[in-house]
Amino acid sequence: MTNTKKLWISLAILLVASFSVLLLMGREIYQKAPPMPEQVVSTAGETIYTRADMELGRRVWQSMGGMQLGSIWGHGGYVAPDWSADWLHREIMAVLNAWAAEEGAENYAALSPERQAALKGRLEGLFRTNTYDPATGTITLAEERARAIEKVSGHYEQLFGNDPAFEPLREAYAMKDDTVPDAEHRKALGAFFWWTAWAAGTERPGDTITYTNNWPSEPLIENRPPASSFVWSAFSVLFLLAGIGLLGWHYAVSHGREEEPHDLPPFDPMRGTVVTPSMSATAKYFWVLLALFLVQILLGAITAHYQVEGQVQYGFELANVLPYSLSRTWHTQLAVLWIATAWLGTGLYIAPAISGYEPPYQRLGVNFLWICLIIIVVGSFAGQWFAVMQTLGLENNFWFGHQGWEYADMGRFWQIFLFIGLVLWLVLVGRALWPALRPGAPGRSITGLLFLSTVAIGLFFGAALAWGENTHISMVEYWRWWLVHLWVEGFFEVFATAVIAFLFTRLGLLKLQTATVAVLFATIIFMAGGVLGTLHHLYFAGTPTVVLALGASFSALEVVPLAYIGFEAYHTFRLSKATPWMERYRWPIMFFLAVSFWNLVGAGLFGFLINPPLSLYYMQGLNLTPLHGHTALFGVYGMLGIGLVLFCLRGLKPELAWNEGLLKVSFWSFNVGLAMMALFTLLPLGTMQLIEAINNGYWSARSAEFMQQPIVDLLVWMRVPGDTIFSIGALALVVFVIGLWVRPRYQGVPTEEEERAATTKARA
Amino acid sequence: MIEFYFEIRAVHIGSVILSGLIFFLRGVGLHAFKASWPMAAPVRFTSYTVDTVLLTSAMMLTVILQQYPLADHWLTVKVALLIIYIVLGAYGLKYAKTPRARLGFWLAALALYLYIVSVARAHDPLGVFTLLL
Repeated sequence: MTNTKKLWISLAILLVASFSVLLLMGREIYQKAPPMPEQVVSTAGETIYTRADMELGRRVWQSMGGMQLGSIWGHGGYVAPDWSADWLHREIMAVLNAWAAEEGAENYAALSPERQAALKGRLEGLFRTNTYDPATGTITLAEERARAIEKVSGHYEQLFGNDPAFEPLREAYAMKDDTVPDAEHRKALGAFFWWTAWAAGTERPGDTITYTNNWPSEPLIENRPPASSFVWSAFSVLFLLAGIGLLGWHYAVSHGREEEPHDLPPFDPMRGTVVTPSMSATAKYFWVLLALFLVQILLGAITAHYQVEGQVQYGFELANVLPYSLSRTWHTQLAVLWIATAWLGTGLYIAPAISGYEPPYQRLGVNFLWICLIIIVVGSFAGQWFAVMQTLGLENNFWFGHQGWEYADMGRFWQIFLFIGLVLWLVLVGRALWPALRPGAPGRSITGLLFLSTVAIGLFFGAALAWGENTHISMVEYWRWWLVHLWVEGFFEVFATAVIAFLFTRLGLLKLQTATVAVLFATIIFMAGGVLGTLHHLYFAGTPTVVLALGASFSALEVVPLAYIGFEAYHTFRLSKATPWMERYRWPIMFFLAVSFWNLVGAGLFGFLINPPLSLYYMQGLNLTPLHGHTALFGVYGMLGIGLVLFCLRGLKPELAWNEGLLKVSFWSFNVGLAMMALFTLLPLGTMQLIEAINNGYWSARSAEFMQQPIVDLLVWMRVPGDTIFSIGALALVVFVIGLWVRPRYQGVPTEEEERAATTKARA
Repeated sequence: MIEFYFEIRAVHIGSVILSGLIFFLRGVGLHAFKASWPMAAPVRFTSYTVDTVLLTSAMMLTVILQQYPLADHWLTVKVALLIIYIVLGAYGLKYAKTPRARLGFWLAALALYLYIVSVARAHDPLGVFTLLL
């Protein structure tokens, strides 16, 4: 059996086993999710909330932007509080203050430490004891909790309305006035928030940890990291070190074996690539993605500025037309959309280039798909605008408005449309690639792997369709992370590895066999941690401890290949210098090198910083999360997207001289700007929040009091230099691309003989 | 942020002075001595860094003072003239075709720089010309 065949079989076994366990975990989560009660009553028999209230509240929360404004169980935006932690703390304080008042004190803080300790002991039992009766579907709460809920509900009703007294708090949370104009809806919103807080503070039946594994940190009711989080954090480090050791051993053994010297081509093998009509038609994908990228940066700047001025932008009351929840929605969504557009364009460009076959009506398909993408972006964004402005109506929101799930926000209709679009893309790429996939075709294995990753990118978006309007939030989270983790972090990664290796084989710099084995091996390593690593996003999403254990162990393994990314980077660098004609591909390759750097820093280091359960227990939803998010999403996939665009542009316009100066400015501005954003703002701010969360509870690290400190404002302002430099990079890139069409400088393509002579000279 | 007002103002004024000084010295080096150092990477990057600090502190001050371009006319004029200054400066140091033209642009940029400072000092779009009123 050949090496390649063995690796294919290993990959198949790994994927079957991993997905079986992942699906099994889905079943566990479904069975162990915190129950949705039919009703919540007080011991006096008063009905506090019904299931209908909570479900309505969730729909209201989704319609106003959901996770894009504040967070639930730590998932979502960072400016407004985590509503679960906030409600829990407010309810606790309302009870404690009421008890203190009964003792004649002004409030809980005014009591002596001895009395505070006594009340705290009483409080713990009141909150942590599970009073849910599965037979009747009823949660029964003590009278003092019923009164406290009434008080907290009033707070939220005023906050989400337009009460002038709450104006400063709305500004601090970057909320527009009248976020939810309907009074009934505001009341129902409170019901949903209460239920998430209840699950976070109530122990599972027969257990001593809450439904959310004791998340969030709330010392007043002894919500502290469970023992399992310590154990599995320690083991995850152990697994990481073991993985690094094993992979190091593998590298040591295979060193010198994997790369037999071979004759590099004396001229660019892709110079003769015929640009077919469908390949030419992909140019508009690259124009559109650059436009989306610019808009995404602008929305990012607006979103960041809302942290300083909650409702206005330099005197202009922008929140009336583009509130924070919407700017953040579009910012996060555009990140995925423009990067995905780069993938789509690249796939459509290289498929006919690989096979040399232009299927009938391929150009029509490419154009049709592009129009569909424009309609999806415009349509879904318009729906979200009407939803957040609360004019769409809850009955239409799920299908056409704002689903409120971060990175999966678009209405269901648009998700289905996008899924169809991705399948169409898959068909277009597949039919063009087909001759190269037939038995006996050279490089069939690596082409097959590339095609499989496109199949996965196309089909795994289908996970976004797995939940319904009223699906339990724990299950929505489970499927949402299939989309965000498996789709983005898993198959994008495979695609990235495969496409770079593939391009090098096409350029004749890597032997097909070597590249195939390397890519298959890398895919196995990525997927070994990647598939079950999905669970690390779900530690505190109403899931059982087994999810925490598996998530911690396998996601630690995800970091293992990243620790050795230097090998890949060095290899790429060496190949870029291998022949004189590779100078033509200098900038795509520089961006591929940046991919390696940010894979190590953004995905590896900053990812592992927040990855172990004990770390994430405190860090989830603090600014250390976007530290990983920005540096990994843009650093890896953004850079890769740009590298691929440049590679395709080189093929589309082979006769043009490139403005190297603009690309140099662009490349360094992106890298320096991103590093400044991470180091001047996100890392220090996140670390400050972390210390606060450990000392005083998670709610405090997300509170307006903490986030409105002058030093926090100053750190937010420190984003401006980095963001400015980053934006200059984007503008330089756009000017470069526009220049290729508007002011092309023809230099002609060097002849085969010229390139051959240059190579001979260089070798001599 | 008001807590840091005086520090930020000091940074802003300091970076205005430094930015103007660097521009002036680069121009002198380029036009009077035909030197190459004014366009050397360390000098250029120092200039970019100072200008970025200047921009950031300016944005911070607008928010602290709640005075914004388009709403407050002296700020509107400052921003508009700043754009012209950048263009003149770019032509004065690099893009103008002849040394004579470069010198002309450079001098015009310097004059405009001084006028912008006077607008900032006077908090009036007329800047130094308010003395004539």
